[in-house]
Amino acid sequence: MTAIEARGVVKSFGTLRAVDGVSFKVARGETYGLLGPNGAGKTSIMRMLAGLSPISGGELFLSGLNVAQHSRAVRARLGVVTQADGLDGELSVRQNLEVFGFLVGLSRRQARIRADEVLGFFRLGDRATSEVDELSGGMRRRLAIARALMGEPEVIILDEPSTGLDPESRIRVWEELAELKRADVTLLMSTHYMDEAETLCDRIAIMHSGRILDEGTPPELVSRHAGSAAMDIRPNGSSRDSIRLQLDAAGLNYREVGALFRVTGGNGAPPSLPDIAGVQVTERAANLEDVFLALAGRGLQEDLA
Amino acid sequence: MTTATALVPETGFIRWRSVHAIWWRHLLALSRVWQVALTWFVIEPAVVLLAVALGIGQLVGEMEGFGNYAMFVAPGIVIGTAMFHAIFECSWSTFERIGQSYYETALTAPVTIPEIVFAELLFAVTRALISTVAVAGFAIAFGWIPLGALPGLMLVSVGVGTVFGGIGLLFAALAPSMHALSLVFTLVATPLYFFSGTFFPISVLPAWLQPVAWVAPLTPLVELARGVALADLGWTHVYCAVYVLGLTALLYPLAVALMRRRLMK
Repeated sequence: MTAIEARGVVKSFGTLRAVDGVSFKVARGETYGLLGPNGAGKTSIMRMLAGLSPISGGELFLSGLNVAQHSRAVRARLGVVTQADGLDGELSVRQNLEVFGFLVGLSRRQARIRADEVLGFFRLGDRATSEVDELSGGMRRRLAIARALMGEPEVIILDEPSTGLDPESRIRVWEELAELKRADVTLLMSTHYMDEAETLCDRIAIMHSGRILDEGTPPELVSRHAGSAAMDIRPNGSSRDSIRLQLDAAGLNYREVGALFRVTGGNGAPPSLPDIAGVQVTERAANLEDVFLALAGRGLQEDLA
Repeated sequence: MTTATALVPETGFIRWRSVHAIWWRHLLALSRVWQVALTWFVIEPAVVLLAVALGIGQLVGEMEGFGNYAMFVAPGIVIGTAMFHAIFECSWSTFERIGQSYYETALTAPVTIPEIVFAELLFAVTRALISTVAVAGFAIAFGWIPLGALPGLMLVSVGVGTVFGGIGLLFAALAPSMHALSLVFTLVATPLYFFSGTFFPISVLPAWLQPVAWVAPLTPLVELARGVALADLGWTHVYCAVYVLGLTALLYPLAVALMRRRLMK
């Protein structure tokens, strides 16, 4: 059963095409990640799905409902956590939940019961009477996710769930999202953190400049675009120019990142490095970052061509 | 326990729950700062009323057709104070809520922009009513307004809430910054407070200014309130009532359109 489907979706702001013909499908119970840098179009896709932004072209479906025609019914099935959290600073933690529960359609009594449930789930029970301003960044994010769960949605949209959080809070948010996954909730999330995408997502779409460059499970993507291993080359006597020449001559896919040359393989194989003098080579497992660098590099070249 | 998910038409109808929930949220937020709210609703208008009725009233003495000056000025101050509440709620508070992504969050629930505007106006009406009961109660205690006029004054306050709530929303939706937003007070609320027949009859204004005063949106509401307080209603008041209804009918769709432009990108 398909939970979310995008067919050639476009979002234009004037002459800028923030989303440029994007298609993907998310199965029920799946966690699907939109991975890409700021400005890739991730947030625009989510805002269109949540009815916060008109769709410029193509079609979006949630549980078979066309979002453009049934925005209200779609939002009744959807929980949304925006980047801004949107917590209500004039209400207490518990009131934030109860008022939102009432807004989505619960009775006041149901809203009270449900607020207790989600407060317990997110271990915020002892902060129920706190003011929102008294919460840490991690607690605020968890409260925003808790609020999105008030109406027991079929699908949850998370726009960069761990941006701005310290490492411990991030892990905690991840653990709680994993628990939602066990409860068979469909998650659509955006992130620009490779580790987050790799940890949480069943499948990933790598986005750049409003387009999906490729889609698949993290291991599939790594194998396809970065090979089984990557090599980091650190100049150690040799000049950067000469390293560049030799890598180009060998037809290798590489990016210069800081002091390093990151060389990726492809089609499941590691890169076969020529023998370069005056360098220090470290072989490591390829990861999504290598995939992104490889794909975005190609994407950028296409843009320039 | 799942939410209502029947397919419903997306436009042209108001889901009452959306309006109710947003209105409840505003009431809850207001009740959490009730100590401060008490000064807005009671102490400040009481100071104005006492100063004007007792202070200036001593200089004015009797006013023909209105009894003493306090009886002339009290209904206008009731309505002018209600105006400040309605306009403050829908400009300042709404602008703040836009900035804090309150509406963005509300719109992730099955809520529409017309429902948001409806709820904002309903809360502006609520604040206007609370203010009217408080200030009129004060004037009633001093014998400047008869008790029997209270229901009529409350009805007029509903019009104050819709008209000035609507004007406030236009500013909230258009203002690029807090500074620009403050124009709603310097350009709208304060001039209206002083030139809508509250403190002196419009007939004492220069002839060229009188038509302007009659078009100003607070004037018909002050006239209605005074007619109710003095139990002296005539054809002028029919014009006033039609004008208020017409303004409301104009402001609501305009506020919806501008808020949509502000919130949907």
